[in-house]
Amino acid sequence: MTSFIPKINRFTLAFSVAMALCAANSARADDAEYGVLMKTLANPFWGAMSQGVEAGAKGAGVKIFEQAAESDQAAEPQLNLCNTMLERKPAAMITAAINSTNLLPCLKVAQEAGVKIVDLDNNLDQAVLDKEGIKVTFHIGSDNNAAGAQGAEYLVSKLGKDAKGPVLVIEGLSGNITGEKRAKGFADKLKELAPGLEIVASLPGDWDRGKAASIATDTLTAHPDLVAIFCANDGMALGAVESVYAAGKGPQVTIIGVDGNSDAVKSIKEGRLNASVAQLPYLVGKQAVENVKKALAGEKVEDSIAVPTLVLTKEVIDAGKEPMLEYVK
Amino acid sequence: MSFWSRVQRASVERLHIRLESLLVLVALSAVMAVLSPYFLSLSNFLNILLATSTIGVLAIAATFVIGSGGLDLSLGSVMGLSGVAGAFVAVNLSWWSPLAVLACILAGGIAGYINGQLVTRAFVPAFIVTLGMLGLARGLALVISQGRAIYGLPPEIVYIGQGRPFGVPMPVILLVLTAVVAHCLLAYTRFGRHTLALGDSEGAARAAGIRVEHHRRIIYTLSGALAGLAGLLFTARVNAGDPTAGINYELTAITAAIIGGTNLFGGRASILGTMIGALIMGVLQNGLTLLAVQSYYQQMAIGAVLILAVFIDQYQVRKESRV
Repeated sequence: MTSFIPKINRFTLAFSVAMALCAANSARADDAEYGVLMKTLANPFWGAMSQGVEAGAKGAGVKIFEQAAESDQAAEPQLNLCNTMLERKPAAMITAAINSTNLLPCLKVAQEAGVKIVDLDNNLDQAVLDKEGIKVTFHIGSDNNAAGAQGAEYLVSKLGKDAKGPVLVIEGLSGNITGEKRAKGFADKLKELAPGLEIVASLPGDWDRGKAASIATDTLTAHPDLVAIFCANDGMALGAVESVYAAGKGPQVTIIGVDGNSDAVKSIKEGRLNASVAQLPYLVGKQAVENVKKALAGEKVEDSIAVPTLVLTKEVIDAGKEPMLEYVK
Repeated sequence: MSFWSRVQRASVERLHIRLESLLVLVALSAVMAVLSPYFLSLSNFLNILLATSTIGVLAIAATFVIGSGGLDLSLGSVMGLSGVAGAFVAVNLSWWSPLAVLACILAGGIAGYINGQLVTRAFVPAFIVTLGMLGLARGLALVISQGRAIYGLPPEIVYIGQGRPFGVPMPVILLVLTAVVAHCLLAYTRFGRHTLALGDSEGAARAAGIRVEHHRRIIYTLSGALAGLAGLLFTARVNAGDPTAGINYELTAITAAIIGGTNLFGGRASILGTMIGALIMGVLQNGLTLLAVQSYYQQMAIGAVLILAVFIDQYQVRKESRV
């Protein structure tokens, strides 16, 4: 016994010290704060969103308490995080739900406790919310449909209204609403502006760079005269770019992504990727916090706030005159 | 024999747990209570139990399988498949709700039964069989649901996940019931003794007249059915049959069992120990979240606790064998 007790004590002590170190840099909030629940920070898009939230909180002088799920498929862990965050009694919960249903039980409890709920990045479905009786203070995010349409506008401005030839669309994960809207926005606008540009394939790339690269290679085999590829996000666009250059058709194919992430900006600067419709998540995060503050102060806030998107090209980046460029992270 | 080892032996015999894991849970809770003013409250305590419920049920399944010297890597995927199967029956077919509940358990049980058949008849190692089932079940879940969550279950099923009789969440009640039944099964019945005998030495178990293959098949079926129950809890909780539910849960479930003192190579297992293991992870996650520690560090902390737990366990086992 005598040898055992000190051992447990040492273990407990080491454990406590480790925990205390973990907690040392986390502030303890005594007054009302905003809970911010993200999908995952392992994605530059959410990283930029998080920076925007922090900047917004600093500017507005409010305290935030931020957590993120470990992956963008961890639906139940995110619900658990949400429940735990409510224990800190936040004034508002700014949530980027992993899907349109996983956080609903937590949001119900939040609503009953008088916590204001914000839908960050439009992941919640208004029809489902109505059915569940949950009132969201506002939805904020980019208009994905418009982002796709902007991609088509850029393509037509580059190739002209009378351009002809096959076009490939690489969609996101099957069934994902964000990817669907981007692909549909692109297809509809392209049909309207340049009917000669025909979409010969629209395939799910599952947000996966490698998968998009394979799709691009295969499509080039079937359509050697391919003129353009639209990808529902930048990761896939960057995969497609590599395939197209490997096939020796770099200058012939115009490739457009969506997001405006840092890798895409780099590739655009190098003259490989042609364009990316930047979603400006930084601005979304910043405006989310600012608008929550307004709503809590009793000011009127729109139900749905659409943060503009910006088409990034080499010219735009090199000129550096576009004021929204400062929000591209 | 010293006082401490006598206490330990008594506890192992009566409750089938190792005191170290219980001490770690208590110490961890005490540390969290000191660090966060939000930790010690009834509602937070229920939060921890609620967050532990699906993992807890999966961990019970892992305890049986690992205790018998097997392994089930398909737990998370089978859980996802079961939830989708139940939601499909209730929402897409609009069948009677109890049938949807049955569909969850049955889908899991069938997947488990197939695992058992392959392990015992085709002589494919459990690691490979269940790894294959991990892919198969996940793929099937995506096929049935066409890749998107099946939302909008009938209120009776949602009650299983969101209801609170006497203020206690239903998943917590079901977890406790499952754990009690599983504990009795493992600790006090011939089935349980045979399970551990099998894990200790398959040859000896065979020589003692245990129908080894038959028993293994039952254990894998039970494991699948429990994954089905976890799938039901998940689906009812988020009100949607989500084909991506339970990704990597098998690893968390196995971790809980190991922290709770289950021997990775079979022969030693306890349901109460596993529940303590699951709660250690639940308290760690909850406490670190309350302290605003990022989820990346939380994953690191759980990894560290796993290694520490096994280290202490091995240290004790060696010391005992020296005495």
